[in-house]
Amino acid sequence: MQDSLFLNTKAKESHTFDAIVVGSGISGGWAAKELTQKGLKVLMLERGARHDHIKDYKTASNHPWDFEHRGKTTTKQKEDYPVIHRGWAAQEEVMDAWANEKDCPYTEVKPFTWWRSYRMGGRSLLWGRQSYRWSEMDFEANAIDGNGVDWPIRYKDIAPWYSYVEKFAGISGSKQGLSQLPDGEFLPPMDLTVVEKDAAARIKKHYNGQRHLFIGRVANLTAPIEGRTNCQFRSRCWEGCPFGGYFSTQSSTLPAAAATGNLKIRVDSIVTKVLYDKDTKKATGVEILDTQTNQTYTYYSKIVFLCASALNSTWVLLNSATDVWQGGLGSSSGELGHNVMDHHYNLGASGKIEGYEEFTTYGRRPNGFYIPRFANIGSDKRDFLRGYGYQGGSNRGGWWRDVAELAIGADLKQGLTELGGWTLGAGGFGEILPHHDNKIMLDTRLYDKDGNVTTDTSKGKTKTDKWGLPILAMDAELRDNEKAMRKAIVDDLKEMLEAAGAKDIDTWDTGHNMGHGIHEMGTARMGRDPKTSVLNGFNQVWDAPNVFVTDGACMTSSACQNPSLTYMALTARAADFAVSELKKMNL
Amino acid sequence: MDRREVIKRCALLTGAVVIGGELFMTGCKNEHAVDPNVMFSSDQIATLDAIGETIIPTTNTIGAKDIGIGAFMAKMVAECYSKKDQEQFNMGLKSISESFEKTNKKPIKSASPEELKSFLTNVDNEARAYMKSKKDDDPTHAFVMMRQLTILGYCTSEKVANESFNYVAVPGKFDGAVPYKKGDKTMAKG
Repeated sequence: MQDSLFLNTKAKESHTFDAIVVGSGISGGWAAKELTQKGLKVLMLERGARHDHIKDYKTASNHPWDFEHRGKTTTKQKEDYPVIHRGWAAQEEVMDAWANEKDCPYTEVKPFTWWRSYRMGGRSLLWGRQSYRWSEMDFEANAIDGNGVDWPIRYKDIAPWYSYVEKFAGISGSKQGLSQLPDGEFLPPMDLTVVEKDAAARIKKHYNGQRHLFIGRVANLTAPIEGRTNCQFRSRCWEGCPFGGYFSTQSSTLPAAAATGNLKIRVDSIVTKVLYDKDTKKATGVEILDTQTNQTYTYYSKIVFLCASALNSTWVLLNSATDVWQGGLGSSSGELGHNVMDHHYNLGASGKIEGYEEFTTYGRRPNGFYIPRFANIGSDKRDFLRGYGYQGGSNRGGWWRDVAELAIGADLKQGLTELGGWTLGAGGFGEILPHHDNKIMLDTRLYDKDGNVTTDTSKGKTKTDKWGLPILAMDAELRDNEKAMRKAIVDDLKEMLEAAGAKDIDTWDTGHNMGHGIHEMGTARMGRDPKTSVLNGFNQVWDAPNVFVTDGACMTSSACQNPSLTYMALTARAADFAVSELKKMNL
Repeated sequence: MDRREVIKRCALLTGAVVIGGELFMTGCKNEHAVDPNVMFSSDQIATLDAIGETIIPTTNTIGAKDIGIGAFMAKMVAECYSKKDQEQFNMGLKSISESFEKTNKKPIKSASPEELKSFLTNVDNEARAYMKSKKDDDPTHAFVMMRQLTILGYCTSEKVANESFNYVAVPGKFDGAVPYKKGDKTMAKG
């Protein structure tokens, strides 16, 4: 990134832009690209630090032995990042990527695992890159079974935008012709392993062509596209790719936005509120807090895109226009902060596959296989609503498996260099229904010095973050439909693994706290009616039409597919709409 | 199945390092990394070198001592293990050292490879029996920790990854079915 991209806060700076984009992750990057390419002068605000493509991927070219703890985290890191240590993301190479949990606390009224990355590019650098379209079934689901509110759009509204973002982002995958998981614009698919190919054929046969296992659709390039080299199969994506082999803000949308000459970026800038003008009923800009100087600044624009990540975009709204609506901008519907969703996981199965000992794999595939939803499709009726998909893989263990059968000495040493048998397995990803009582809010409670809630104003004070800003409280949980689904997720997978020929199958389900799926969605949902939704069909806040929310906050239901591709498509679509409305002087 | 076990299962699927992994997942508040050179004397590190070398001995390729396994174990225990696991490791090291010295009338670092192998094979058997019968909350046997740390440190070291394994930093492609026969060099972890 060239230095000229960044706002020079030392000099007298311009405070007026055509558009302000809050956040630099997947959605913010797309908003900046689309708006700058359409000729708007854009200010992108990022709460974290600058993180330059390649230059700041400090560990990306390390060898395994360069990591002093060989990938493990230290006791100090365990203490500093307790939330991240609840799951698999606590790895030595990425610990710097996660938000500082001491500086940025949140309250768990019910357990909520919130994975945050506060730096340029956000989670676009860390994401799992699985990229699936939603289908007509997903957009119709709420209307059909009456949960939540109806999506204001249908598949045909978003389909061209899926194509548009897929072509630019670069998604590899195979066409399958499935109505529940529409095909897209794909680069060549990655290879399944020899074991997975046979498993796919056996599953297809066993279920009469009603269940499908195929290679994951992933935002890694299997052929170069402009300015980016194809994936080198190092599987070190989340450290940042020096080849630009996968889609991130830094590798993809940011260079495109920068090339227009219309982009300025301000890092270390927490947007604390959207500024709202009661008379025009529109936003005039945003207020920010500079995290380094603690100074407050205002920036003005014709439109604002909130892309700060689902829960943080809502946090900004909760803090905005509170003189007009006590509950914040967008709260007139009573739905702001409500209907938080995720995908529930932490369950799956794996087994041993006998044979295939004459085969192994070459390279490190940053991808696995996918089994799309089949439950509640066609004649497959269940006693719960909606469904689930699976992501899995197969491999032969090397020394890193626990070669417990060999004791110590030369035999063990020899055994470590040899491959073990094949393992085949997967984990499930289930849909979570929108539920009004699954909510987030500003934590306004008073806490005494021991951290206990009190009503005594002389003894307690509200919790704030490092900068004295209010923090979120999460109050959400899995409910009956999700719980009923979890048993089916495991049972169905076990049966499919058996059909695929696996032996000694282990299953697991350790329960799921909301947020753990890293697919937090909702809290400012789109809808058809300002009385029951926060955003309209083009992601405009009903109460302030020049404010657009296009990240996970806008989601009306969760489906079971990884959602990022949908955020990209919705963002590009909303940006196109915003610019056309600006041209028509409607905003 | 507990959380650590789930992480282990998921790791198996993604090819992540399973061995010893569960010991790196635990930690409590107010535990701080300790300087390995304060926690372990040079004598103890020499003892760990000898134990590591017995677990993975020099053959036609280098053994664990050559990659400094004693210092590696000390570092990992001091900086990454929970306090409870640190205590378990240190008690185990002490008891293994004392027990050897009592039987053999000399310290571990002066033992012959054969003496030490025969002694540690017994310890390994004891450790296996203990691990089989232990309750979930009981600590891991210290010798299991030593064996796991030795394997992790050895197999991820530069020399071993390049000489005993085929380390390819930039594979450039993925092939889901390449021929393999026992004795072929396998890919090192990337």
